[in-house]
Amino acid sequence: MEEDTGGISRRTFLGRSIAAIGALIAAVVGGAGFGYFISPVLRGEGQDEWIDVGAASSFPPGVPTQVEFTHRQREAWVTTERKNSAWILTMDGKNFTVYDPHCTHLGCPYRWNSQTHEFECPCHGGVFSVTGKVLAGPPPRPLDHYPVKVADGRILVQVSALRAAALKAKDSKAQA
Amino acid sequence: MSIPEWLRERTGWDKIWDALFARRIPEAKGWKSWLFTLGSLCIFLLILQIVTGILLAMNYVPSPDHAWDSVRYIESHVVLGGFIRGLHHWGAYFLVVAVFLHLLRVYFMGSYKYPREATWVAGVFLFVIVVGFAFTGYLLPWDQKAYWATVVGTNIAGQTPLAGKYLLEILRGGPNMGPTTLTRFYAFHVLLLPALLIAALAVHLFLVVWHGISEPPRPRRELEAADSEKEPRP
Repeated sequence: MEEDTGGISRRTFLGRSIAAIGALIAAVVGGAGFGYFISPVLRGEGQDEWIDVGAASSFPPGVPTQVEFTHRQREAWVTTERKNSAWILTMDGKNFTVYDPHCTHLGCPYRWNSQTHEFECPCHGGVFSVTGKVLAGPPPRPLDHYPVKVADGRILVQVSALRAAALKAKDSKAQA
Repeated sequence: MSIPEWLRERTGWDKIWDALFARRIPEAKGWKSWLFTLGSLCIFLLILQIVTGILLAMNYVPSPDHAWDSVRYIESHVVLGGFIRGLHHWGAYFLVVAVFLHLLRVYFMGSYKYPREATWVAGVFLFVIVVGFAFTGYLLPWDQKAYWATVVGTNIAGQTPLAGKYLLEILRGGPNMGPTTLTRFYAFHVLLLPALLIAALAVHLFLVVWHGISEPPRPRRELEAADSEKEPRP
């Protein structure tokens, strides 16, 4: 049975062949499975969608206007809708700033005081200028604003990008 | 002391290894020898189903409003998700076929006969369990084909005399197909059936090793020729 075929017996040859084929199958299935398992790491964050918050012409220059909109968010297989609002400011009717409607101190919604021409937060007395700068009170940073672009006369904003950016700012601050 | 040696002293793994992989098996020639690989094929496919099934369960939601979307998410968003799901999908078909071919091999070679009847009975249980896996798994994508196949399948169970009405409701988790059917089938598929499978498979494999593999049947004249070469009976 054990014929000499150049130093390797039939049994050894078959044993090694089975091991090699087995290893190949294990590598394909195991590799694919591992890729699937670590998929959350390999997949980058999804692109944020642009949300239409109104016509560019409907905002008077110089005065911030609050808009309300519904934000549809899709996470994996779950789609959630949540109401959101933002303060929109334009000086020239062409360039827009869209502020997150929460105070940067503890997240209270602030309001516009048309007499003093300032944003005021009722919770702890934070005051922001029309450009978002902190004028008084405890807020640690200027007002957050959303990425914004104007297309076909409509104002489009990205809402969840802000949260990610804010978290990153918080992280880097915590590390510093 | 090397690690294998350390383990050998404490577990006797080498004896187990020899009993499983170095045991004597009957000689079979030609294409018939391949028929003896069908049992191993079933185990291979079963392991494949377990691995891919665990992965799929990480993203699958057994709820009518999310089941189909979560399957689509696996296909379109998870890295190699389509490949893993494809393996599970086709592996399921292959497993049913392989188990049935294995059953045919054992039947037509008479391998179920004394002393291997218990092995055969455990094997029949395994066959039914695998078919159960296929039936419950078919519903999980919750698409039109899955839904109506299960409507028909459970209706067949509902035709059982006397107990049919109750069987139908037990299978569906209620009188109609709906969320309770899906969670029920999912629980069968990932909890109940695997537990039954492991129990039946343990018995089956132990008995396979315990009795050894049966010889392939040989023609009567061959046996008689072999007999006459031996010493004549007194």
